[in-house]
Amino acid sequence: MTVAAPTRPGVTFSRVLAAEWTKLLSVRSTLWTVVGTILAAASLAFALGMFVRPDSGQSGSSLIVSGYLLAQLGTLVLGVMVGTGEYSVGTFRVTFTAVPRRLPVLLAQALITAVVALATAVGALLASFLVTVGQRGAGGLTVDLTDGATVRVLVDYVCFLVGVAVVGLGIGALLRRPTAALVTGVLVLVVFDHLLAVNPGRVTDTVRALLPGSGARLTMDDATLTALDATTLGPQLGPWGGGVVLGLWAVGLLIAAGYRLRRHDLA
Amino acid sequence: MIEVESLTKRYGTVRAVDELSFTAHSGAVTGFLGPNGAGKSTTMRVVVGLERPTSGTATVDGRRYADLAAPLHAVGVMLDARSVHPGRTAFRHLLAQARTHGISRKRVDEVIGMTGLESVAGRRAGTFSLGMGQRLGIAGALLGDPGTLILDEPVNGLDPDGVLWVRRLVRELADEGRTVLLSSHLMHELALCADRVVIIGKGRLLADAPVQEIIDRSTGAASLEDAYLQLTADSVQYRGRSADDSATTPTAGSTR
Repeated sequence: MTVAAPTRPGVTFSRVLAAEWTKLLSVRSTLWTVVGTILAAASLAFALGMFVRPDSGQSGSSLIVSGYLLAQLGTLVLGVMVGTGEYSVGTFRVTFTAVPRRLPVLLAQALITAVVALATAVGALLASFLVTVGQRGAGGLTVDLTDGATVRVLVDYVCFLVGVAVVGLGIGALLRRPTAALVTGVLVLVVFDHLLAVNPGRVTDTVRALLPGSGARLTMDDATLTALDATTLGPQLGPWGGGVVLGLWAVGLLIAAGYRLRRHDLA
Repeated sequence: MIEVESLTKRYGTVRAVDELSFTAHSGAVTGFLGPNGAGKSTTMRVVVGLERPTSGTATVDGRRYADLAAPLHAVGVMLDARSVHPGRTAFRHLLAQARTHGISRKRVDEVIGMTGLESVAGRRAGTFSLGMGQRLGIAGALLGDPGTLILDEPVNGLDPDGVLWVRRLVRELADEGRTVLLSSHLMHELALCADRVVIIGKGRLLADAPVQEIIDRSTGAASLEDAYLQLTADSVQYRGRSADDSATTPTAGSTR
């Protein structure tokens, strides 16, 4: 590698990051996905809030994060869009002739996806908090922000949605086709878990614990997790285990996508 | 200078490029010709590092493309005019490209001006005609003020004014000492702007010589087109038939 003249410096990681940032913010679908995710999360939390009974024993934080069922699909779509966008419209030729080392692009995409997903998740959390204020008051559900367990659920809700976005990016970058990536994402994140839940057993419970949807445990409060761990025939993951599983999926998918990107032709 | 040496690219059992060697020199426009499926685009993709050669080498100024620290400043590439996100404006498309190399907004505006896209720079690329897409692709190739340009069919879809503009542009770029490798199917156009032509068929080199020499060498050829048709007669893989000919079987069918 030669050193370029000072007036003509070349590709650096921060420049690739800036380029990917420009790309993400310059298509409208990004904004719509973010707004749609926040609206979906808050709407679901509000809808579920209508069934809150004063004697249910439910925690206030669990109601706020209950929109995760839809919100996870939103950040999954965000990740899939970033991961497949280059390939579905052919801009990968432009991108990878500018950055022939290729991997910095994937890493930059992972970072900006995580950042946008983080902002989206915080937005969804705030919106869900606000729309359920009345319902929580009427149902007697309190949210004590000095309580460690409450804060854990709220913070982990954000972590979960960010993790799902990176998993979406990994699947997208690996499969390169938006529809295939989205279907795969929904299958491994939601559908398989539900199918396996029909038939509890040591094997199915273990597989369920190892699927990325296991990360949804991050959104559950301590009482729910204890109840889940008491009934499972598979590994007991505790409050953090599901997050670790999700994180490993995210990292594993990125490594697989990076391998494909680095070792194979871009035709 | 682009040097391609004994380049072979195989996809499974198909040899898209077969032991191809040629050089595109600096200060000259090198036309790159061949029938559909001859391996022109594959060769160009290998040169710019999108694909790896099965064997052989392709270098720009003596270095592999993937080893360039600032590829946009070394090589300007336009492979496909449709390589734009339809929802992104022309300006943002170029800005994203520029940012990978820390190229200024001023330069982005400059290449927009050079390619005559000022009035549509803020429009989403999905609304562009093929010709405007070509201009945008050429703008991207010029961004880094590179010493080498690789343009795959840059005049496709351009209006007569645009064709003339590209002809003058590549001439100027070569006269400034740059290397220009340009593929096209428009023989008359290439005869006007290329110094030298490299003709390939079925992945193999058929001819590599100055335009006039290629015409002189062919028997009875009056133009580059005649010479080209003679040279590639045995290498055409996809051939249409005339309408009143439809009852007869084609003589040279597809080999794939």
